[in-house]
Amino acid sequence: MTDQVDAYLEKDYAAGFTTDVESETLPPGLNEDVIRFISQKKGEPEWLLDWRLKAFNVWKEMSDPNWAQVNYPEINFQDVSYYSAPKSMEDKPKSLDEVDPELLETYEKLGIPLHEQAALAGVAVDAVFDSVSVATTFREKLAEAGVIFMPISEAVHEHPELVKKYLGSVVPQKDNFYSALNCAVFSDGSFVYIPKGVRCPMELSTYFRINEAKTGQFERTLIVADEGSHVSYLEGCTAPMRDENQLHAAVVELVALDNAEIKYSTVQNWYPGDKDGNGGIYNFVTKRGVCHTNAKISWTQVETGSAVTWKYPSCVLKGDNSVGEFYSVALTNNFQQADTGTKMIHLGKNTKSTIISKGISAGKSDQSYRGLVRMNPGAEGARNFTQCDSLLIGDKCGAHTFPYVESKNPSAVIEHEATTSKVSDDQMFLCQQRGIDPEKAISMIVNGFCREVFKELPMEFAVEAGKLLEVSLEGSVG
Amino acid sequence: MLSIKDLQAKVEDKDILKGLNIEVKPGEIHAIMGPNGSGKSTTGYVLSGREGYEVTGGSITLDGKDLLELEAEERAREGLFLAFQYPVEIPGVSNLEFLKASVDAVREHNGLEPYSTVDFMKLAREKCKSVNLDQAFLKRGVNEGFSGGEKKRNEILQMMLLEPKVCILDETDSGLDIDALQVVAEGVNALRSEERSFIVVTHYQRLLDYIVPDYVHVLADGKIVKSGGKELALELEEKGYGWIEEEVA
Amino acid sequence: MSEIISKAAELAKKIEGPEWLNSFRTLGLTQWQQAKWPTRKTEHWKYSSLRAFNENDFFATQVHRQGGDEQKLSSELFDIPGLNASRLVFVDGIYSEELSSDRYPLNVDIVFFSKAEGAHKEIISEYLGSAIDLEKNIFARFNTADLNEGVLIQIKQDQKVDQTVQIVHVSTKGESEFTAQQRVLVIAERHSESTIVEHFVSTEEIQNSFTNTATELILKDGSSLNHYRLNMEQENIVHVGNVSANLRANATLNSFVLGFGGKLKRIDFKVNHLGSGAHCEMAGVYLPKNKQHIDYHTCIDHQVPHCTSNEVFRGIMADESKAVFNGRIHIYPDAQKTYAEMSNKNLLLSHKAEINTKPELEIYADDVRCAHGATVSQIEEKALYYMQSRGISKKEAEVMLSFGFINELISGIKHGPIQNLLRPVLARQFSRDEELLKHII
Repeated sequence: MTDQVDAYLEKDYAAGFTTDVESETLPPGLNEDVIRFISQKKGEPEWLLDWRLKAFNVWKEMSDPNWAQVNYPEINFQDVSYYSAPKSMEDKPKSLDEVDPELLETYEKLGIPLHEQAALAGVAVDAVFDSVSVATTFREKLAEAGVIFMPISEAVHEHPELVKKYLGSVVPQKDNFYSALNCAVFSDGSFVYIPKGVRCPMELSTYFRINEAKTGQFERTLIVADEGSHVSYLEGCTAPMRDENQLHAAVVELVALDNAEIKYSTVQNWYPGDKDGNGGIYNFVTKRGVCHTNAKISWTQVETGSAVTWKYPSCVLKGDNSVGEFYSVALTNNFQQADTGTKMIHLGKNTKSTIISKGISAGKSDQSYRGLVRMNPGAEGARNFTQCDSLLIGDKCGAHTFPYVESKNPSAVIEHEATTSKVSDDQMFLCQQRGIDPEKAISMIVNGFCREVFKELPMEFAVEAGKLLEVSLEGSVG
Repeated sequence: MLSIKDLQAKVEDKDILKGLNIEVKPGEIHAIMGPNGSGKSTTGYVLSGREGYEVTGGSITLDGKDLLELEAEERAREGLFLAFQYPVEIPGVSNLEFLKASVDAVREHNGLEPYSTVDFMKLAREKCKSVNLDQAFLKRGVNEGFSGGEKKRNEILQMMLLEPKVCILDETDSGLDIDALQVVAEGVNALRSEERSFIVVTHYQRLLDYIVPDYVHVLADGKIVKSGGKELALELEEKGYGWIEEEVA
Repeated sequence: MSEIISKAAELAKKIEGPEWLNSFRTLGLTQWQQAKWPTRKTEHWKYSSLRAFNENDFFATQVHRQGGDEQKLSSELFDIPGLNASRLVFVDGIYSEELSSDRYPLNVDIVFFSKAEGAHKEIISEYLGSAIDLEKNIFARFNTADLNEGVLIQIKQDQKVDQTVQIVHVSTKGESEFTAQQRVLVIAERHSESTIVEHFVSTEEIQNSFTNTATELILKDGSSLNHYRLNMEQENIVHVGNVSANLRANATLNSFVLGFGGKLKRIDFKVNHLGSGAHCEMAGVYLPKNKQHIDYHTCIDHQVPHCTSNEVFRGIMADESKAVFNGRIHIYPDAQKTYAEMSNKNLLLSHKAEINTKPELEIYADDVRCAHGATVSQIEEKALYYMQSRGISKKEAEVMLSFGFINELISGIKHGPIQNLLRPVLARQFSRDEELLKHII
């Protein structure tokens, strides 16, 4: 495409600043003492420490998965610091007024004001900064409806029966290398419980921020929607610009009991590295939900960040008539690599799943859709529809599709389609001829390409996602 | 000939037919009209024995034979023919082999020798001509890529080949323009005889201009709520279905 | 080194063949010995178990069984009525003069490696192994390690060969378990046109051999090759095959693939588009039943611009059978203006049948049109009802609809005698009752 467009290159990663706070950070290294330290920091009960140690032992026996279509230098897990928290959080502030203003300002800059009067109406936020939760807004208001929304480290103390029952019930410790690591060293994250029949009155969201250098973030999210309840949850992620690669290995578990519905949306904007491929987050995440009878879990993700992404939000459709959905837009630019997709495991009768994946590759990036649709023998009358579309911008990038389709039930129907296309010169020329500048034209075309997914996002975030895509595409035309 | 008594049926636990009574004598044409959702298409499926349509009461007999005891193909062989509103496409199975399989089965049931391939080709070609279908359609997959009108003509072609006793036309007029409608009606009229009866299921009166019924029944909420001569159809066309529902209520 | 690999290696070492093939054998053996025996964790073998190699001692004694009983074989096993064919028959990998044609067309050179001289020797040395990817196909390594014989089929430049070359492989039951190997090198010279049939049959249902074949097709500029790969051996055969093709500028490969299942049947296709304007058309049908297993892996590589490929595979799984299909389209950087499509549709006929399909795209160029689709379903209720409502019995309708599912591909076979041969054979896969078949055969 046209040279003039090269000029658009370089817009800063807006979330790339660092916050200057004094932190208590463990020296790099991973051993049992580190795990005991984290557990003790959180004042955890014995069973949880044992659970962590068990996971650690499992992890030591495992090796880094190598099947994904991504390349990165081997990670030395002894070079990572597994705990970092602002010193000001040591005394557990009782209210927002006691929280270090530096921290509040950080979130303010990111567009997430934590003071309730300034906050987005209708959205409750849990703000996680490195290894700790800084603040959780609207807790009282949610409590009135019986909704529990708090850092998981607090939930361990306040609702041990729930945490004990569901933690690891969807993603077991030995599930995979990174989930095992997470089980051993997870620091904080959000816990949500929606009681029977309750429709959560607000959107819930967690905002993850990595700040400290040389640290990894290992958060854990657990959402339990009891029978007939409904919740919409959103997570956002950013990190400062650093030359080194930082590790983020999270686990998200969703439990949708009979007739419950969970809508989980992600806007992932971890620092992707610079235009030469230096730095950026390694985002190795395990997300999975279990649907009981008539339940529904819908994953929507807009992924523009991270240097390397490895993530497959999945649904286990255990109950009859349960529904799983996966809507994804993943955009990679420069040297980013993403291997992402979903798994839909159909166990129950008349279960349905829909997968819509839109991948946009630009620059020298590489992106893969990797998905599994499995119909087990009991999945009588189950249905799946999958559509994977790739859009390539420029001739130096890669776009790949690796769908695994497995069926053991003749009454199950599976349809999978994939296409690939490019932003054509004709489309560009038409836009330009009508007076639309090239960058705007690209963003219009890309937005059109992603429309099916954007319409699944909660309103407030759909606009943000569109803008994010526009920023991430900067410099891709050329 | 065809006797439907107090027929009740449900689909997926929903009662659709709630006591349907129709008595069709040889040579008669009955029209069943009714608003959408009144159970018109269900009537055709229940009569022809589609799986998933559960008969919960009443009876259907054809020349004294209990149809409810029979599988779909056995009913067809007894002489019951359903012309579909939306004929399904079957790629890979050629129209010709499909037609021959069907005609052979019906003939065998009636104690007749199957046609030789050559004779059948000849017959099929002839019938194609009479419904204005190109012979090339015989080689294509069943209804595969046919236009709406071509599919309907293919239904009439099958009717001609199978020479059934009772033909049920399920909204055969839907989606057809006037010309296509005339071709279809001509085909039907050519098949009219003293022994053969028709049940014409339709929402609109216009088809009945071409296929003139002896009786018109109005179906509402799974029951015949009014019966009359062909003039009833005109009245319905003019006034819609609302007045009948009021009258019945 | 796994026990199976070292055992096979020992056997390969004993093989004697023409000295000029030593370098191939050494290369094959070295790579074979470096190979890791695939397990279910090996991505390429994720859905196909090699436990047959643990249960059977294929590498026990001789690698090549001596032919001998072939006189007793009837050519009915592999006759294609109406076919004007030059026939090469191999029984358990050993060439049978008895069963083969005594004359070949003038515009084709057919030369056994053991008898190759001069220009033929040179051409074999130049092209053998040039299409096959030993890295990814460990059994091709063994085939190479064990190479003492093979056949070169060279179609002469600018010639249109009317006679079909039929290469028959007959599997027989041996006294004990054994391995049979075959190596074929086809060179279609510039602007030649020809048809090659690779036809695999077996004498009886119970087999105890492991057949390991490697076929390379070299299509030079402007040549056109119709290739048929018919794996019609029955029941408990263990067959691993590899077909690799190199397509130069404006060459056209038309491939038709048929597979009945076996104890383990695994066939890898690799098509390399190396010259612009090349085109590959591939149609495939797999029909496992009983407890059979079949696995097709195809990889269509587009390495240069302006090439096209179209691949359609359909499978019907009956009884307790299991099928695997893995179809990859790989577009290299700069292979612009590629047009590649792939479709894979599957029908499951039973509650115990299983299909694992994985259509893949790996794309590194932007100005391309690529698409793939895969479906899994059962016979459509609507179609069944429609046919029943026309008086056709449910059983016959099911047979007609099953056959209809693959009929498009069968009807697409341009080679009359092969189509005529396959139509009834395939229909009988769905029923033994001729009454139910009479409208499709």
